[in-house]
Formats: sequence, structure tokens, C-alpha cells
Amino acid sequence: MWLTWLELDGWRNYTTLSWQPDPGVNVLVGSNGAGKTSILEAIGYLSAIRSFRGTGDEGLVGVGTDRAVIRGGFAKAAGESRVEVEIPRRGRRRVLVNGKRPPRLATVAAQFPVVAFLPDDLELVKGSGSIRRGFLDDLGSRLSPGYGATVGEYEAVLRQRNALLRQDGPAVDLVALQVWDERLVAMASTLWAERVELIDRLAPVLGAAHDKVAGGTATLAVGLDPAWGDRRDVVDAVSFDTGDAAERLAGALIERRRRELEQRTTTVGPHRDEVRLALAGRPLRTEASQGEQRSVAVGLRLASYRMLAEHHGHAPILLLDDVFSELDVLRTAAVMELLPQGQVLVTTTRHDEQHVVGRSWEVVAATVS
Amino acid sequence: MFEPPLQRVIDELARLPGIGLKTAQRLAFHLLHVEEADAVRLGESIIELRRLVSLCGRCFNVTAEQECTICRDLRRDPAIVCVVERAQDIAVIERTGEFDGRYHVLGGALSPIEGIRPDQLRVRELVARIDDEGIKEVVAATNPTVEGDATALYLARLLKPLGVTVTRLASGLPVGGDLDYADEITLGRALAGRREL
Ligand SMILES: [Zn+2]
Repeated sequence: MWLTWLELDGWRNYTTLSWQPDPGVNVLVGSNGAGKTSILEAIGYLSAIRSFRGTGDEGLVGVGTDRAVIRGGFAKAAGESRVEVEIPRRGRRRVLVNGKRPPRLATVAAQFPVVAFLPDDLELVKGSGSIRRGFLDDLGSRLSPGYGATVGEYEAVLRQRNALLRQDGPAVDLVALQVWDERLVAMASTLWAERVELIDRLAPVLGAAHDKVAGGTATLAVGLDPAWGDRRDVVDAVSFDTGDAAERLAGALIERRRRELEQRTTTVGPHRDEVRLALAGRPLRTEASQGEQRSVAVGLRLASYRMLAEHHGHAPILLLDDVFSELDVLRTAAVMELLPQGQVLVTTTRHDEQHVVGRSWEVVAATVS
Repeated sequence: MFEPPLQRVIDELARLPGIGLKTAQRLAFHLLHVEEADAVRLGESIIELRRLVSLCGRCFNVTAEQECTICRDLRRDPAIVCVVERAQDIAVIERTGEFDGRYHVLGGALSPIEGIRPDQLRVRELVARIDDEGIKEVVAATNPTVEGDATALYLARLLKPLGVTVTRLASGLPVGGDLDYADEITLGRALAGRREL
């Protein structure tokens, strides 16, 4: 798949932009703050209807405008799809795919595969659990609309339950709380089943990608540690049972009810899961060198790329945001070697970038030429 | 700012759901050019709507009488009641031709985020109808959204102890949507295949 055209209006620092990238490698050269990353972010947003920087919609609308608009064309062998997103400063966002409102937003991410390597990817390994959950759920949502729908529904139920606890605390209507508990348990066990299955598929691909990057020195293990209340340990697809998971969480919610009514928030569930990464048995987050962590971070992105390429039967769009300054030469070579013949958009501050050969674009003060 | 009479129309139109400032302006400028008789007819129809139409005293459907045509229809089964979020959902279900009971309009769905609790919905009125009308089954036809699902479950918890069977439309409806968006065939099947909560 490749991006054939992109139009921006009031998106971040872009007043307006109309751009036709090459189907191959595009190198966006410009100084910091010139607007290179905003272009990649817009492509990411168009493909998944959220910012890969984690910015809320209100932060994406440019100063002095009342709405941000991104439009673009994603071309596949079967034809081109036109995606349009309009983000008003206030009110509801509007998404159109080929001029029609998609039945669910989750269908968009599963349709347009995009993988981004970002400058702070080290956080995937070093950072808090929410970053790894975000990585896993983004990958899952891009592989199946069902996964994305489950994440969306779980989060919606969680927000409602937290709002109920926050507003009413110990004075809560117990029947109403039980209803939200029941919905939370149902969505949580579905999400756990999705996550466990995804990790099972990810593990061998990640192992192979990591071997390539790190030279195959130590075994990398990945597993889900579900936050269902009691004993914390890693589950796999063989030992996981949806009914058992639901029972554990339902029990934990009852056991913790008094405390949750005081704390006014939900303290168990998939929003507290940990995705565990271990190298030769050592937890990577705490007991690994920065070099080891970096290899695994690159491995995670490469694995996403390979899984999406295999799932769709064509290369995803690859976004490389200023990553060459972060990667050493060996890992860079490994990354570049693994790239199939897909569209690549690279940002860099250097004109003499050695690692990539492609069409060069100058980005200056939110213009591209 | 436009001339006051024009600006007033723009402001009023912009208050309507789904109409932004740009649309309001376009409509207002359109109205500026229509025949005077057309403008009068539109104005009068809105005034009549408010004067003649009110809510059914039993099910809260829209009606020009004390009770709506469905509640007054003796061929309809009073023992089965279909609960919907909004009055316009009734028309959607009626179009399927699969339902011959009565309705109850809740006036929304549970949503703590928006501050909508059970006592903000017409739940008490529904409970009162159970005994009065001898209701045996309640079909929870709230929207297939997170809030609609929770509301259906809430009704089940509340009404089951009163000996009422609470059913939910069978899946097949697109989750996250409104009943409006479901086509008649899908919705008809969902009604026929409803399951107990
Ligand atoms: Zn009525």
C-alpha cells in the first residue's frame, strides 16, 4: 500500500499543504520544528484515527483555526481509497472513507497498514506498562477490526465505570454499579483473549526479528501478565481460559468494592496489564543494558511490520521519524535489510543521510518542496 | 454579524442538533429567497408541532392525543413491551413489522459520563406499568452501544425480581451504532432472535 496524495488544512503548524509523495522512498529533510514529524503524524492519524504521539484531538488543531483537516489517498492493487478526517476544535470528529462514514472506526485501522519507528521507541521497553499495552493494542487493531472494537468497548465501559465511581463514591446505586461491573468483566475477558492470542502470534516473529537485529545472542520472551486481581503471572494461549479470567476479575471487583468506592477508580482489569519482555530470563525493563533494550524496541517495530505485511499480502507504509540518529550503524543496516519494496517516508535533519536513497523533499516552515 | 432578523434565524437554526454555523447560514440565506407562503407554512408547522403534539401518557411516544395510536390499538399485545431510548426508534421497529406489543420510551441510556442515572430516565414509569398492564416480557431495544447494553442489563436486574422476562435483540446489529442505521431486515431478524438477559 502507498500514500498517493496528502492534503492538510489547519493541522498542527500547517496552514495548508498539498503533497504527492513517491511510491518508493521519500526523504523529508528539514531542521527541527520545520514540520517533518507533523506530516508523518498526519499519515499515521489518517490510517488509524489517532495520533501516534498520543496527542488528544484538541492539541492537533492549528493556532488560529477552528478545525484540522487531513485528506489522503491510500493506493492498493485493488484501487485507491480516499480517507478524510475533520477535527473541529470543539465537537465531534468526522471520518469519511470513500465519502462514506465507516460503520465503525475500528474498520479503518484494520484496512490501512502503517508502521512508525519513532525517536522515543526505547520507551517501548523502558517505559511504563501503558506504552507496551498501547503498542500491543495498536498492532492488534491494525490486524483485525474485532480487536480494535474490543479495545474501544473496554475503554468506553471503563470510562463509564470510573465516572460512576468518581461522581457517586460510597453513595453509588449498587444495581448500576453491578451492571457496569458485569460489562467490564465481559469486555475484559474478551480483550484478554485477544491480547493473549496476539502475543502468541507475535512471539516467534519478534524472536526472529530480534535475532536479526541483535545477532541472535540471547532468547527473547514475551508474555501477558493480566491484572485480574490476584496472583500476577504470565499467561499463554494454552493456559488462558476466558471463563476463568472473567471469574477472577468478577471476584476481584467484589473483593475490592469497598476500596474502589473510596478511591473512586477501577483498580483491576486489562488497563493495568503488563506486557512482559525478558532476555535470557532477565526482565528487560529493569535488568538490561540500553543497547539490549534498543535492539528489542527495534525488534518490536520490525515484527509489527512483518506481521502486517504478511496479513495484508503487501508492504505497509513505513514511517521512520528521525530514527537514524538513535540507531547505530549495525541496527540500521538490519532495519534497512528487512525492508521489502514498500513506500517509506523518512525524516532527517541531515542532508547527507547515508542510509537511504530516495526522493528528497525540503521541509521549511511547514511547506514541502 | 448579519442584519438582526437574519442573524436571529441563523442563531436559532444553529441551536438545532447536527447543524453547524455554516449550515445555519446557508439555510437562513435559502429561507431569505423562498416564497413568502412557503416560509409561513414552515413557521406554522413548527408552531403547530409544539401546540398539537405531546407525549403519550403511557409510553411517551409522540402523539396528538392523550395516548398514542399504538397504545390505543386493541389488537396489540399489552403483555409485551419494547423499550427504546428515543421516540424516533419506535418508527424504526414498526417498519420491521415483527413486533405487535407496545412501547416504552426511556428518554436516553445510562451514561455516568454525561450524568445520566436511572432516575433521569423513565425507569420508574416503566416499573409502574408492569403491574398496571400485566407486562410479562420487556424487550430491551436500546441502541447496541456500551451505554445501551448497560441500560438493557440494568432493566434486567431491576425487572427480573418482579417476574418479568427481559430480552435483548439478537446480535447482528452493528455494535456502536444507532438503531437508525440498522436496516429493516437486520433489525427484523434481531427482533425475532431476541434472547433473555
Ligand atoms: Zn403510547
